[in-house]
Amino acid sequence: MSSNYPAGGWAKVLLAYHKFSGSWAWVLHRITGLVLTGYIMLHIFALMSLQKGKEAFDSEMLLFRTPLFLFLEWFLFAFLLFHALNGIRIVLVDLAEGARYHKKLYYAVIILGLILFFGMGYIMFTQDTLHSVAAVK
Amino acid sequence: MSSKYYGSRGSGAPAWYLQRVSGVALFVVAIGHYILMHYHLDSGHTYDAVLARMQNPLYKALQISFVVLGLYHGLSGTWNIFRDYRMPAWMSWSILGLLYLAGITFGSLGIATILSF
Repeated sequence: MSSNYPAGGWAKVLLAYHKFSGSWAWVLHRITGLVLTGYIMLHIFALMSLQKGKEAFDSEMLLFRTPLFLFLEWFLFAFLLFHALNGIRIVLVDLAEGARYHKKLYYAVIILGLILFFGMGYIMFTQDTLHSVAAVK
Repeated sequence: MSSKYYGSRGSGAPAWYLQRVSGVALFVVAIGHYILMHYHLDSGHTYDAVLARMQNPLYKALQISFVVLGLYHGLSGTWNIFRDYRMPAWMSWSILGLLYLAGITFGSLGIATILSF
C-alpha cells in the first residue's frame, strides 16, 4: 500500500494535471453534490421544529431571516445551480446526442447558471421585509 | 473487471438509470422549491405560510417525494464516489451501512415532519 503514495505528495500530483474544463465539471459536480447531500440532511433536521408548533418554528426562523443566513442560502443556490445544470448536461450527453455539443453545453451551463444566480440574488435581496427582521413576532 | 471477483454482483444499471431519473425530477422540484421559498421573505420563513401550503395534500405528497428522491439521489451519488476507491471489504460495507442508515433516519424524520401537519 505504501508504494501507492507519490514521493512529492498528492498535492503536487494533482496540481500537475492539465486542467481541462471537463475535469473541472467532473470534480465540481462531485463537490457540489456532497455539499448538497450534507445540506439536505441538515435541512431536514433543522425543519423538525415545525413539529413543535408556531412559536418554536418562528423563533428558529428569526435566525434564518438574518442577512448572513440569506447570503449563505444564496451561495447554496450557486451550488444547487451548478449541480443541477451540469446534471442536465450529463443526462443530455448520456441519453441524447449531447456528446457532440458537450463543451458548448458546458459553457451554456456556466452562463445560464450565472444569470439565474444573480437573478435569484435580485429576488432575495430586494424584498422590503429583508430590512424588517424584527417584524416576525 | 469487477465481475471477475464478485460473481453475484449486478451491472449497477438500475442505480445508474435511477440516478438520472431522480436527478431530472429533482431539477424541477428543487429549483421550484427554491423560488417558492424566496420570492417573498415570509413565504419560506414563517410557520403560517408553511401551514397554509401543507393544507393541500398534493403539496404534502410533493414534499414527501422530494425528501425521498433527494436523499436517494444524494446518498447514492455519495456511494458512487466511494466506489471509485479501493477499500477493504469491511470499510466498504460500513460506509454503505452508514449511508443506508442516514437515508432511513433522515427520510423518516422528514416524512414525520411533513405528516405532522
